[in-house]
Amino acid sequence: MSSPNSTYSEEAKKGIASPRLQASLHNLQHRFGKGAMDLWANMEDQDMRRRVKKSRMKNLAHLDIVLDELAEKVRARGGNIYFAKTAQDAIDYTLAVARKNKVKRVVKGKSMTSMEIGIDPALEDEGIEVVETDLGEYIIQLAGDTPSHIIAPCIHMDRNQIGKLFAEKLGIDHTNDPPTLTMAARKALREKLLSADMGLTGCNLACAETGHISLVSNEGNIRMSTTMPPVHVALMGMERIVATLEEHRETTQLLTRGAALQKLSTYVSFIGGPSSDDDPDGPKEFHLVIIDNGRSKILADPEFREVLACIRCGACLNICPVYGRIGGHAYNSTYCGPIGAVVTPLLDGINKHADLCKGETLCGACKDICPVQIDLPRMLAALRHKLAYGSDRWNTKQHNPAEAYTFRIWRLLVTKSSLYQYLIKIARFFQRPFVTKNHMIRKMAGIASGWTDGRDLPPIAPKTFAELWEEKYSKNRPAAPKAAEEEN
Amino acid sequence: MDNQDTFLSNIRTALDKAPGIKRSKTTFPELFASTNTAEILQKVRSRTVAEQDQLIEILRENGNSLNVCTHIAVSFDEAAAVVVDLIRTKEPEFNHTKHVMLHDHPDVAALNLWNRFNREAVTLHTSFNSDQQIKDKTIASFIGITAPTNAVADSATLIQLTEPGRPRSTSLLPSIHIAILRRENLLADLTEAYALLEEEAHLDSLVFISGPSKTADIEAHMVNGAHGPREVHFIVLCEPMPEQSVEELSDEKSEIR
Amino acid sequence: MSGKTVSLFIQCLVDTMFPETGEAMITVFDRLGIPYDYPKGQTCCGQPAFNSGYQQDAAAAAKHFIDLFEDAEVIVCPSGSCVHMVRHHYPDLFADDPAMHSRALAVGAKTYEFTQYLVDELGIVDVGSDFTGTVTYHDSCHLSRGLGIAEQPRTLLGNIQGLELIEMKDSDTCCGFGGTFSVNYPEISTAMADEKIDNILETNAEVVTGCDISCLMNILGRVSRREEGAQVLHIAQILAGAKRDQGEKI
Repeated sequence: MSSPNSTYSEEAKKGIASPRLQASLHNLQHRFGKGAMDLWANMEDQDMRRRVKKSRMKNLAHLDIVLDELAEKVRARGGNIYFAKTAQDAIDYTLAVARKNKVKRVVKGKSMTSMEIGIDPALEDEGIEVVETDLGEYIIQLAGDTPSHIIAPCIHMDRNQIGKLFAEKLGIDHTNDPPTLTMAARKALREKLLSADMGLTGCNLACAETGHISLVSNEGNIRMSTTMPPVHVALMGMERIVATLEEHRETTQLLTRGAALQKLSTYVSFIGGPSSDDDPDGPKEFHLVIIDNGRSKILADPEFREVLACIRCGACLNICPVYGRIGGHAYNSTYCGPIGAVVTPLLDGINKHADLCKGETLCGACKDICPVQIDLPRMLAALRHKLAYGSDRWNTKQHNPAEAYTFRIWRLLVTKSSLYQYLIKIARFFQRPFVTKNHMIRKMAGIASGWTDGRDLPPIAPKTFAELWEEKYSKNRPAAPKAAEEEN
Repeated sequence: MDNQDTFLSNIRTALDKAPGIKRSKTTFPELFASTNTAEILQKVRSRTVAEQDQLIEILRENGNSLNVCTHIAVSFDEAAAVVVDLIRTKEPEFNHTKHVMLHDHPDVAALNLWNRFNREAVTLHTSFNSDQQIKDKTIASFIGITAPTNAVADSATLIQLTEPGRPRSTSLLPSIHIAILRRENLLADLTEAYALLEEEAHLDSLVFISGPSKTADIEAHMVNGAHGPREVHFIVLCEPMPEQSVEELSDEKSEIR
Repeated sequence: MSGKTVSLFIQCLVDTMFPETGEAMITVFDRLGIPYDYPKGQTCCGQPAFNSGYQQDAAAAAKHFIDLFEDAEVIVCPSGSCVHMVRHHYPDLFADDPAMHSRALAVGAKTYEFTQYLVDELGIVDVGSDFTGTVTYHDSCHLSRGLGIAEQPRTLLGNIQGLELIEMKDSDTCCGFGGTFSVNYPEISTAMADEKIDNILETNAEVVTGCDISCLMNILGRVSRREEGAQVLHIAQILAGAKRDQGEKI
C-alpha cells in the first residue's frame, strides 16, 4: 500500500526493489501481455477491434439516449435506477438503501468503481460489515492493503505472506499451498455470502436494448453476491454501456480476451431487475446506481472523450514496461497502469497527479494492446501539454515554471543556430573536468543530474558533425538549399 | 425522475446538444439497429445430425481445457447411470449427508432418479416453485442438476436461463454441477447463442457458465473451486427427440412468454 | 547510382555527441554513389519539448526545421524518433494554421529514416559492408511501433556476410529513455535499461545496435556504469563497415 504522502518516485523505488513484485509482474506480463498481442495478431476477425471502438464512441456520442433506454427497461421489470452526479450522491443513495433494509452485512463483488467513490469506509462508519468476496480483494482486505492491479489485486503478495495472513486472521493451520489457501477462503466466504443482507457489485457492461447489466467473473463470488442476499446494489460508471446485444457480444469477447486471454470468463451474469416473487433466490430489490463523478467533463472534451471507451480489461497493465517495473501502488490511485495514468488526473486533478502524466516513456505498447484501440499516449502528451502551460478548462496551473523557462531558452537556441553552436562550444569547454578516463561523464550537476544517478553520459564530441562537415565534406559540394538564408 | 432528467441534461450539455431537449431513440434508428438473426437461426435449425455430432466433439475438447467432464448418453437411462455413479462416488464438501437439487425440467425428471435411490442415504429435491425451503435445501446439496437451454461448443459455455422452477442457485451453490444437454441444442459459437437470446431478453436473469469456478489470485496459480462449483459435468443426450417431447418443450416456452 | 539528393537531417544528439554516426552514413552514401548535402543551421526536431508537453516551443523548432528543409528533394535521418516527430506530430502542432499545416505535411512526406530509405525507397538490401561479429538489435519504440519499421534494419544486417544476427528477448520493449523521463524518473528509467541490458547479455552478442541514437545513448550510459553489456554501435556504423576501434568502448 502506498502512504498518502509518498510520491510516485518513492513508491516506484520500493516496487523496483522488491524481488517478489518483480518476479510476479514479469510472469504476468510475459503470459498475458505477450499473450494478448499474439491473440490480436492471430484473430480471424481483424476488424473486430476497430468495429467495437467505433461502437463505443458512437454510444458515448449518444449517451443520454442509451442510458435512458436502459433505465426504462430496468424500471419496467421493477428495478430501481438512481443517477448519481457525484461520488457522495452514490454513497448517500446506497446508505439509504442499506438503512431502509436494516443491512448489517454487505458482500462485495470486485468493483473498481466502488473503490473510486470510497463506499467501503462509508458503510463501515454506519456499523455495517463489508466483506470483499473476490479472493484477491479479500486477501487485500484482510491485510489492510490496497490492490496493485486491476484484475489481479494481490499480485504483489506471495504464498508465504498469504499463508501467514490466513493463519492469523482465519485461524487455520499454517500452509503456503495455494489450493489449500483457496479452499480456506472458499469456506470462510461461503458463510458470509449465504448470510449477507446486501450484495454490492460494479457493472462490467450494461446492455441498453435488453435492460441488463452484465458482470464477468471466474470465481462465482459475483453470482453469489447477486443471488443470495435479498438486496442487490450495482454501481456503474455511466460510460460502461453498449446499445445492442450484438455490441454486447463483441465487447465482452474483447474484454475477456484482453483481461485473461479467455474466450469467455467462467461466468457472465445478466441481471435486469429483482427476481420474481416465486423465486427462492435472487434479490427482491435491485438498485442500479449510474455514476458521473467527473466523467461528463471528460465526455465534453474531444481531446479526452476517447478514454471513456475503456472497458477496464487491464491489458495495458500487462504490457506497460513502466508498470512492469514499478507495480500498481506507485500510482496511488484506484486506477493504475497506463489507463490509470490518464483517467486519474482527469477525474481527480491534473496537477495533483502530475507524476502520472509524466512518469512514462510514451513507448506506445499500451495503444497496441488495447482491445478497443484507445490512443493513451496521445492523451498523455495532451495532459503534459496542460501541465506545461496551464489550462483553464481543466483548472490546471503551470506545473513547473523552472522547466518552462528552460524550454524557452531551448527554443531560443534551436531557432538560432549560431547561438546553438556557440553554446555547444562553451559546454564542451566546461565539461572537461567531468570527463573521466574512459571518456564518459559520471556526475552531472543541475536539472539533468538525474541521468548520472544511474548512468554515465557520453561527452560532447571534440568536433560536432556540423564542424566536421565544414572541415571534411563540404568542399566541392553544391550548397544545400536554404543554406544561405538560414541565419534568421 | 428529476434526478434522471438533470443527469441526462448534463450529458447533453457535455455533448454540445441542447440540454433541455430530450433526444429520442427514434431519431437515431441506427443506434439500436437490430441484427439480422434470421440467417443465423436458419443455419442452426437446419443443422444435420452429423454436424451436431461434430459439435459434440468440439464441445468435449473445449470442455476438457476447462476441466469439464463430458459424457455421451444415447438414452435417458444411460444418462441416469452417469448421474447415479457421480452421486454414489463423490463426497459432499460442506456437510456429511448427500442431498441433490434438481431443476424442475422434463429432461431432468426423465432421468427418473427418484426410483434409483430407494435404499441409499441420498435425498433428492426438486426446485418446484411452490417450495419455500429451496434455498436451505440447495445450500445443503452437494450436487445440482440442470438442463440448460443451449450449450456453445466453441467455448464450452452453458446458457442457463432463470425460469420458474429453475432458480439460479442450483448451478451455483452445490460443489458439483451436472448439466443435461441435448445434441440438438448445441450451438457452434456465441454468435448463434446471442441470436437465440434475442428471444429470451425479457428475462431478469440469465448466466453463461463456462466450466467450474476458478481463481488464480494467489501467485497466478490456477485453482478450481473458488466460490461456485468446483466440478462441472456435461451429459450430452443423443437420443433422437420423440415428437411428444418437442410439443412439451414448446408448450413450456409459450407458458413463459 | 544517381537519383535524388539526400539532405542529411543529422539529429541533435548525433551532431553533438555521436558525429561518427553521421560520418558513417556518409561512408555508406559514398559507397553506394548516392548524392547528399547537409543543410547548415539545423538544430533539433523539437521532440524533447513536445514529449514534455511544451508544444508551443516544439512548434518553434518545427518551423525552423520546415524552413530549412522544405526545398530538399528528400530528407534522411539516422533516428526513428525524429522521423516520427516530423511525420506524425508536426501536422498536429499546426492544426490551427492551415498554411503551416500543409507545409508540415509536405516535408513529412519526404522525410525518411536511414534504413527505411535504403531498403524501401532505393531497393538496396546489401550495402557492401565488411563488418564482422555477432550483433543483437534493439527495436526502438517510435521506429517499430510508430513507423512500422522493423524488417528493414534486419534485412540490411542479414545481408552482411561476416555478421551473425542474434535476436534478443523482448527486443521491442522500451529501453527506458523517454526523453526528460530519463532525467525526471531516473530510477524507473535505469530499471528499464537494466532489463534491456540483461536481455542483451543473454545473447552473448559482441555488439548491440539500433536505429535511434537516443536509445543507444541510454543503453551505452548504463552499460558504461555497469561495466558490462556489449559494444554499442549505431546501425550506420555497422553498415559503413565500422572497425571495432571506431565504436564506443566500454
